[in-house]
Amino acid sequence: MLLDYDRLGWLKVALLGFTALVAAFLLLPVVFIVLLSFGSSRWLAFPPPGWTLKWYQELFADPSWIEAALTSARIATMTAILAVAIALLASFALVRGQFRGREILRGLLLTPMVLPVVVFAIAIYAFFLQLGLGGTTIGFVIAHTVLALPFAIIPIATALEGFDKSIEDAAIVCGASPLQAKLRITLPSIRIGIFSAAIFSFLASWDEVVVAIFMASPTLQTLPVKIWSSLRSDLTPVIAAASSLLVALTLGLMIVTALLRRKLQT
Amino acid sequence: MSVQAQQGIATLRIPEGLGGLLPALILIGLFFVVPVLALLLRSVTDPAPGLQNYAALLGDGTYARVFFNTFLVAAVVTIVTVLVAFPVAWMLAIMPPALASILFGIIILSMWTNLLTRTYAWMVLLQRTGVINRALIGAGIIDQPLPLINNLTGVTIGMVYIMLPFMILPLVGTLRAIDPMTLRAAALCGASPLAAFRRILLPLSLPGIAAGGLMVFVMSLGYFVTPALLGGTSNMMLAEMIAQMIQSMLNWGLGSAAAFILLVVTMALYALQLRLVGSKRAVGGA
Repeated sequence: MLLDYDRLGWLKVALLGFTALVAAFLLLPVVFIVLLSFGSSRWLAFPPPGWTLKWYQELFADPSWIEAALTSARIATMTAILAVAIALLASFALVRGQFRGREILRGLLLTPMVLPVVVFAIAIYAFFLQLGLGGTTIGFVIAHTVLALPFAIIPIATALEGFDKSIEDAAIVCGASPLQAKLRITLPSIRIGIFSAAIFSFLASWDEVVVAIFMASPTLQTLPVKIWSSLRSDLTPVIAAASSLLVALTLGLMIVTALLRRKLQT
Repeated sequence: MSVQAQQGIATLRIPEGLGGLLPALILIGLFFVVPVLALLLRSVTDPAPGLQNYAALLGDGTYARVFFNTFLVAAVVTIVTVLVAFPVAWMLAIMPPALASILFGIIILSMWTNLLTRTYAWMVLLQRTGVINRALIGAGIIDQPLPLINNLTGVTIGMVYIMLPFMILPLVGTLRAIDPMTLRAAALCGASPLAAFRRILLPLSLPGIAAGGLMVFVMSLGYFVTPALLGGTSNMMLAEMIAQMIQSMLNWGLGSAAAFILLVVTMALYALQLRLVGSKRAVGGA
């Protein structure tokens, strides 16, 4: 009975009430930050005494915010492309390969996801200082690709596991080369996995703070680093404006994902 | 196109053996394994060969407090997260699909929102003159603002907020896999709702709770951003201490040693989680 939604009785009311509270808790900061960004109070009074767009004007008038956003977008795009390409090759081997130690190698490739980021951050920071890659775009991309790789491998490998290999074999029997069969049969079939991998690895880089704090130089900083250093000095509403744009971006990504999934699945 | 070139394309293939793993292994080997091993080496060679860094870390009361505090925060966050997540996952598993998709949307939105954005929101909400304190004073519940930030309360609220999706989403899977018939049978046999919960629903969902809880605990142990911004100096956590040792004190030996301790504890708990859920499910849930 406890798992029958319609027969829970009073318990359903209590549990639904609690669930609604948790949903409100999850929404609260997101909604709050968006409202705050339009509030006219510099001291973040809430509810705001009036409404204004001046924090957005300040944000767009400051080239360092724009530059940080562009840097983040550039690094995250390169990271996503690199991570998906490497993960695609790795997934075929992990899912279909017959060799000893496959599970161990899979575990090794997924380790960056579980190791505390701060440990990796100081390790790669020290390493790049010696190589002269600290504070460079290429350094950022390499470090972020390491962190993004698990998030790219998991959806692609999962999609590949669910794909019936005999369809690919059938294409080869019908005269396709192995590469043609993969490009025209297998890859389109696992496109949802590839697409998820691209989104996740983009976000893994776009949102990454800890490695970025160590790697950033005065001339190269990503958006999270810019937010981080602004946060440490004061809680200016400009951060709320920047944050709201990030929320809008997240919502946009969610909608695109949902629409694409629906389209790809039919 | 020459015959040779055509043959070249015909035999070009995406490798399915070890070959395909090469780029990934080079990336992880060169830019993950080597730097982490180099860091470990540094912990026993900097400033002089020996174990003095570890001795300093483990023998000092200040550091012991940081270790204790790290475990305390991670434990509190895990317990609160499990308690809050369970009823939500329970409802999500059985509620009508239309309602569930709205709730899933909210969870994904909060999870995908920039980490710093969420933490910034909590900083503003929880500060002395923040919305929550004003609302409570306005409602006449308290006279003085409550200290909600730069202490354990602030870290717990901010961390639970971040960890909830990681607990709810896998738990929904566990709960959906339970056959509702088992609970109907219990009710038919005269079990009260409480007895059915305690003796059937809870034990059957325990593997999911344990796996999710362990994951939240491990993630909390090494968390840096949220504790650094919402916590106070008196309850600093390990990750923040490591960052400070490197960034402000430039004490690489001590910092690497602390990082290595964090690494060992995390990996040991992760291995435990793998044994609990089996290697594929543990990583597939993310």
